[in-house]
Amino acid sequence: MVSKKMTVKNEQGMHMRPASLLSQMAAGFDSSVKINFNGNAYDCKSVMFLMSACIKCGSEIELQCEGADEEDALAQISQFIEDGMGD
Amino acid sequence: MKNGIAASRGIGIGSICRIIEHDLSFDAKMVTDTAAEKARFHKAIDEFVKDTNAKAEDIRRLIGEKEAEILLGHAVMISDPAMSGEMDKMIDSGQCAESALTAVCDMFIGMFSQLDDDMMRQRVSDIADVKVSILKILLGIEDVDISKVAPGTVLVCKDLTPSMTSQIVKENVTGIITEVGGKTSHSAILARALEIPAVLSVPGIVDEVKDKDTAIVDGTEGIVFINPEGDVLSKYMLKREEYIKRQAELDKFIGKETVNADGTKLELFCNIGTPKDAKKAIECDGEGIGLFRSEFLFMDNTHLPTEEEQFEAYKEAVETMGGKTVIIRTLDIGGDKDIPYLGLEKEENPFLGYRAVRYCLGNIDVYKTQLRAIVRASAFGKVKIMVPLVTTVSEVRSVKELVSEIKVELRAEGKAFDNDIEVGCMIETASASLIADLLAKEADFFSIGTNDLTQYTMSVDRGNSKVAYLYSTFQPSVLRSIQHIIKCGKEAGIPVGMCGEAAADPLMIPLLMSFGLDEYSVNPVLVLTARCIISKWSKEEADALTAKVMALNSEEEILAVLKEAVKE
Repeated sequence: MVSKKMTVKNEQGMHMRPASLLSQMAAGFDSSVKINFNGNAYDCKSVMFLMSACIKCGSEIELQCEGADEEDALAQISQFIEDGMGD
Repeated sequence: MKNGIAASRGIGIGSICRIIEHDLSFDAKMVTDTAAEKARFHKAIDEFVKDTNAKAEDIRRLIGEKEAEILLGHAVMISDPAMSGEMDKMIDSGQCAESALTAVCDMFIGMFSQLDDDMMRQRVSDIADVKVSILKILLGIEDVDISKVAPGTVLVCKDLTPSMTSQIVKENVTGIITEVGGKTSHSAILARALEIPAVLSVPGIVDEVKDKDTAIVDGTEGIVFINPEGDVLSKYMLKREEYIKRQAELDKFIGKETVNADGTKLELFCNIGTPKDAKKAIECDGEGIGLFRSEFLFMDNTHLPTEEEQFEAYKEAVETMGGKTVIIRTLDIGGDKDIPYLGLEKEENPFLGYRAVRYCLGNIDVYKTQLRAIVRASAFGKVKIMVPLVTTVSEVRSVKELVSEIKVELRAEGKAFDNDIEVGCMIETASASLIADLLAKEADFFSIGTNDLTQYTMSVDRGNSKVAYLYSTFQPSVLRSIQHIIKCGKEAGIPVGMCGEAAADPLMIPLLMSFGLDEYSVNPVLVLTARCIISKWSKEEADALTAKVMALNSEEEILAVLKEAVKE
């Protein structure tokens, strides 16, 4: 299992569009992809759970991947989040 | 005839198309062939996703990217493993597709409605939309395709939802009637944006009408007729023609200067009650604010508004007007209004009592806070101070002294303001009118408040139905008072405005023009109407009419002559 801490930068946080892009990206990996935030773990492959996390601009989150392609998943997804998730 | 809320102006006449809310109940049965049930379920989802994407494409073309994305989100949501994935599992365990869909959607609706985030709570209506749309497909219920209704259709529905409004073709829908919704509801805003006449909150209308019934929708008056009898239909067809003609005529005045038939320029301002109304004044083509009532800051509050709170509100209005004049009336309040924290005593005769400038000069701390906020707002545009209920010269002098003190203080504090800020007075009492010549030497401008001036001049409580017949701005005494005030202002070389209802009255405008009024301040929605009326009168015509009117003995005769001469 690998993980990385980061800060969400896009202005509107994890709203519909970033959540849907992120979930599509996470679904492309065999590994499980989770975000730990506020003491809860959210499955990144589900746009519904991602939105329910209420992650806002400036939120500190931990991205956690586990599985065969965990290194790739962590690298690509963390890059995507740090780049502002397409916003 | 039925009454409702007048939500979007104009008259629409057409054939009814009902948008019915379907019964979406179903039998929650157990299934044995789970594979077949799942296939039925996924066929419905595929159809939903296809529909949604097509709708989103239409909306992207017609409205915009952002609106389209909301709909595209619906397709993403249902495809989510936590949605269709969970539903699949429930079907595997023997539940029917309808039950699985409802259970999972309702679980998320419950979860999202408890979130501490406005934007996410809005997703509740999206999930509900998804649920209803797929249920309809599963139950084989077909919706009316609003985008395909025939020209001349009046839509009748419980409420207009966003997905319904996005399908409306403006050219085909002539009117809208709903059972719920108010003036500021989503339906009302969209109807106004599409310029479709609409009457909302007509109880039971959906069940009372049939498709193809004839309906008249009077969105100006808030009246609806279903299958009108006698000559109602022909009358309304005529009314509709007139409305359209009149609208077209008024539209010609958008962005034009306010000039009379001689080409003399006059000022046409707006009366507003909150900083947000300033936007409306701009949208309605107002040339400034002739009356910004400051009471809202005090009425809708639990404490005395601080200087900063007031400053922000005045500044917002001033900045919205972008350099155009904003005349702020200082606190106009008395014992007839209950503002607990001000500790005003109930009075026997509140309109003759401790109110407006009298209260303010007796509570210097309260007044100074307000004046400081107004003077500071003058750094952001053209602000003028207007003092209400003046009856003596010394009241105006006292306010001017206070303003001078404030300027010294602000300069010492290094705060910006307009050093030439003007202080004027409302002329709305018999006393102020009689000493208008004296007041004109102290005040930088006059603004005539016709509502109070009429009440005080005629000594009539307009709330008392036994004497209300005396309450008229067209009484010879009130007209003489107005004429005198304007004359005194002119002689002293100060501008005179009017911020009462009379300033937009088609019967009053020629008289005011003849008297020499400089500035007309009206409700924002009346700007174009007033500009149109002003454009029709030359000074010479107005003078001739006024000479005739001022020689008459009674309000009845005056009104008769004016109605004969009126130009609409």
